[in-house]
Amino acid sequence: MTEFAGFEMPVWYDSIVSECRAVRNSVGIFDVSHMGRAVISGEDSTSFLDYVTTNDVAALTVNRAHYSLICNEDGGIVDDVVIDKLAENQYLMVFNAGNRDKDLGWLKKKAEPFSVNIKHVSDQVSMFAVQGPNAQQVMEQVCGEDLSSIPRFGERSLDLEGMKLTVTRTGYTGEDGFEVFTWGAPSEDPSRAVAVWSEILDHGKAFHIQPCGLGARDILRLEAGMCLYGNDITESTSPLQARLSFVVKLTKSEFIGRDALAREKAQGVKKVRVGLKVLDAGIPRAECPLLKDSQVVGKVTSGTFSPTMSQGIAMGYIPREYSKVGENLLVEVRGKKLRAAVVGFPFYDTSKYGWQRTKK
Amino acid sequence: MPERDQTMKVGDYEVPEGLYYTKEHEWVKLEGNTCRIGISDYAQKSLHEVVFVDLPKVGTQMIQSQSLGSVESVKAVADVYAPVSGEISEVNLRLTDTPELVNQHPYGDGWIAVVKPSRLEVEIKNLLDAKGYADFLKTQMK
Repeated sequence: MTEFAGFEMPVWYDSIVSECRAVRNSVGIFDVSHMGRAVISGEDSTSFLDYVTTNDVAALTVNRAHYSLICNEDGGIVDDVVIDKLAENQYLMVFNAGNRDKDLGWLKKKAEPFSVNIKHVSDQVSMFAVQGPNAQQVMEQVCGEDLSSIPRFGERSLDLEGMKLTVTRTGYTGEDGFEVFTWGAPSEDPSRAVAVWSEILDHGKAFHIQPCGLGARDILRLEAGMCLYGNDITESTSPLQARLSFVVKLTKSEFIGRDALAREKAQGVKKVRVGLKVLDAGIPRAECPLLKDSQVVGKVTSGTFSPTMSQGIAMGYIPREYSKVGENLLVEVRGKKLRAAVVGFPFYDTSKYGWQRTKK
Repeated sequence: MPERDQTMKVGDYEVPEGLYYTKEHEWVKLEGNTCRIGISDYAQKSLHEVVFVDLPKVGTQMIQSQSLGSVESVKAVADVYAPVSGEISEVNLRLTDTPELVNQHPYGDGWIAVVKPSRLEVEIKNLLDAKGYADFLKTQMK
């Protein structure tokens, strides 16, 4: 067990490597109830969320979710979030555990001119992630319904033995899968959350479901090229540098950070986040220097051994001129310089792994 | 490597008799004029799944307590410190392809290197015997 954002959480249940394999090849389940969750409602909820986040909330239809960012006035990333439109003027926002207090304070402050209600529900709603190519089959058996019509980033409300569940086709692994929210499952009385967890584990047995810890979660998201807040994105990185501009809609209505981001875009982004595959034996870790022609040009923000590819992988920021796929750099790991090549995200072969392989 | 002699247990951790140990969790086995070294059961269990072993080069001169390489798991990295001074005369190349041997047989096939010691008579006093290491482990586990 380790402490993460104030929660006692397992780094692994059985083995990090086998947990990663379960998710890539079949199915795994994660207890992610530590994540922050808030329900944002009220007549101005859409315009408020459009003002405090970078993606286009007005374009979201009911039962759809999207990935988005909260930026500050300078365009720095306050947090990365998922916003799920539960109903007209009612949204569920999921944010990082370590940013619970910061985000809620930020949202409440920015909400003053709007008619919105921000209800913090992190400790009232449990959250599990069921991830992997067999996640749909497991969840269909749990709910007794066909879930095939839920698209990526789609959502549905379900009833499970009198409990109200919301499932979204989202996750932090790159695989197909669902995040399962159980309403009215307070952390001080975990009986309902445990019932849902057990139900999923029971139906998952036929698929060799594995409970997965933080270790596998971190590796799987890195293999998928997804950012970890605090490492890969912070208040000093902008979405353009982080290559998250696909969720920054500069042409929508006014939002916090827009002017700074529009200026940065016009001036040209100086450094960008890239993926690196290590070609020599060795495992890059956060803070390892990145070199080009013996000059330090950046550093690793996340690095690991990838069980899926059996090699060291990393992400980090480097000047734009060295960021092309195929560019060769060196990463200095514990005094040794290892060859590394810039690669695209995700790291794995998308015909073999990831949610898109299941889509024929 | 045959795992002979008797083995003590401290909690879940095996501590075979007849070996010497360091407080950094390396073990040393005296084999005539050479010393075979590896990491202890406690070390491999603490690291969890070993996925990479950075081996020294044969011929490297080591000084006691200097890092001779590292053992990395998915989530962590640990230096391996030379338990004795001397020249590296052999390294376990099997660990290049099967680093998990460190987890499977920490005192056997998961050995890391063989050293030709240069000051063993003096330096052995800095090492712990099995009983001493077992007592040390107990203090670490509290």
